[in-house]
Amino acid sequence: MAYQLYRNTALGNSLQVILLQFDKAMNSALAQTVRNRVNFRSFLNTYRSCDYLWSFVLNGVEFREVTELNKADEAKIVACDDKNIGSNTTE
Amino acid sequence: MTPGIPIFSPMMPYGTGLTPQPIQNTNSLSILEEQQRQQQQQQQQQQQQQQQQQQQQQQQAVAAAAVQQSTSQQATSQQATQGTSGQAPQLFHSQTLTTAPLPGTTPLYPSPMTPMTPITPATPASESSGIVPQLQNIVSTVNLGCKLDLKTIALRARNAEYNPKRFAAVIMRIREPRTTALIFSSGKMVCTGAKSEEQSRLAARKYARVVQKLGFPAKFLDFKIQNMVGSCDVKFPIRLEGLVLTHQQFSSYEPELFPGLIYRMIKPRIVLLIFVSGKVVLTGAKVRAEIYEAFENIYPILKGFRKTT
Repeated sequence: MAYQLYRNTALGNSLQVILLQFDKAMNSALAQTVRNRVNFRSFLNTYRSCDYLWSFVLNGVEFREVTELNKADEAKIVACDDKNIGSNTTE
Repeated sequence: MTPGIPIFSPMMPYGTGLTPQPIQNTNSLSILEEQQRQQQQQQQQQQQQQQQQQQQQQQQAVAAAAVQQSTSQQATSQQATQGTSGQAPQLFHSQTLTTAPLPGTTPLYPSPMTPMTPITPATPASESSGIVPQLQNIVSTVNLGCKLDLKTIALRARNAEYNPKRFAAVIMRIREPRTTALIFSSGKMVCTGAKSEEQSRLAARKYARVVQKLGFPAKFLDFKIQNMVGSCDVKFPIRLEGLVLTHQQFSSYEPELFPGLIYRMIKPRIVLLIFVSGKVVLTGAKVRAEIYEAFENIYPILKGFRKTT
């Protein structure tokens, strides 16, 4: 387990600034630039909403895009709901 | 075939406590007890239905046998009174016999010496509608008896929503019975969506069980059904305009506002939504009998406003 001691250095600080810029860039790209559309329909195992954060667990889900089809026995979706709407998924 | 002997079928068990029992106020949260109680009540209802069917069959058997007897009487009234083929006992009067025994009594052998006056069942002034409203929604409340931390409940329980800025309660749902519960930080809970009183109670206990498993000392205090909604179909169209004219102190009908007539019955205190199609929604009941009573009250009125075109 490496120490995070050295983050408060010139090198560390500039790298952290880059990380903040990365966050902003990802948010704006997903909101504005990305136009792909994925459809999915499945059985909802559980849902949860707390502090505007939604999480779902789906069973037997097929993510259908125009080009390809991805299946999963179990999928967890974590979705943030805020002014800038964004979402990410993990399989 | 001898008529009128009550049949003790092997299906009637002894000593199973066939008298209806009041709902027990147990504060323990055992789901197993609840489900066992529900099954017992369902069995009791089935047994009562079987008893009623048996009584009806007995009455039909007695009536059929009596009709046979009367026809055979008329044929043999001039013959010797000694028994004809297997028909015992014989009646000495040639009056036609209409026997439909009074409900609740199973006559044994009709006495040969007394004149048989026709016994007809008590006919009510108006016949019952034969339609039973179906319960669609039950709203009930219960007090879990302890303060709750809604954030931990929302984070750890499944199928829960919590938006404190929008509404100060956790909205939780379960699949069986399909219901929704609003759980407040004071420990009070509202359970909606069940189709029967027992299902509402069972669902409320399941929610209380979820809260208990999250570590709160939940109890099950003061379970009370607050509202019951039922619906049914009279199967004929209704002249709502006529109904609002004659029953104006009870009805309000604004077709531009809402297509149904709102009838506020005084006794029992039930609100009915009556539609042109003949569908009726009854709400505001605290017990099932109020819904049934309200529908039996409104049905003759609706028959009087049947659309004839």
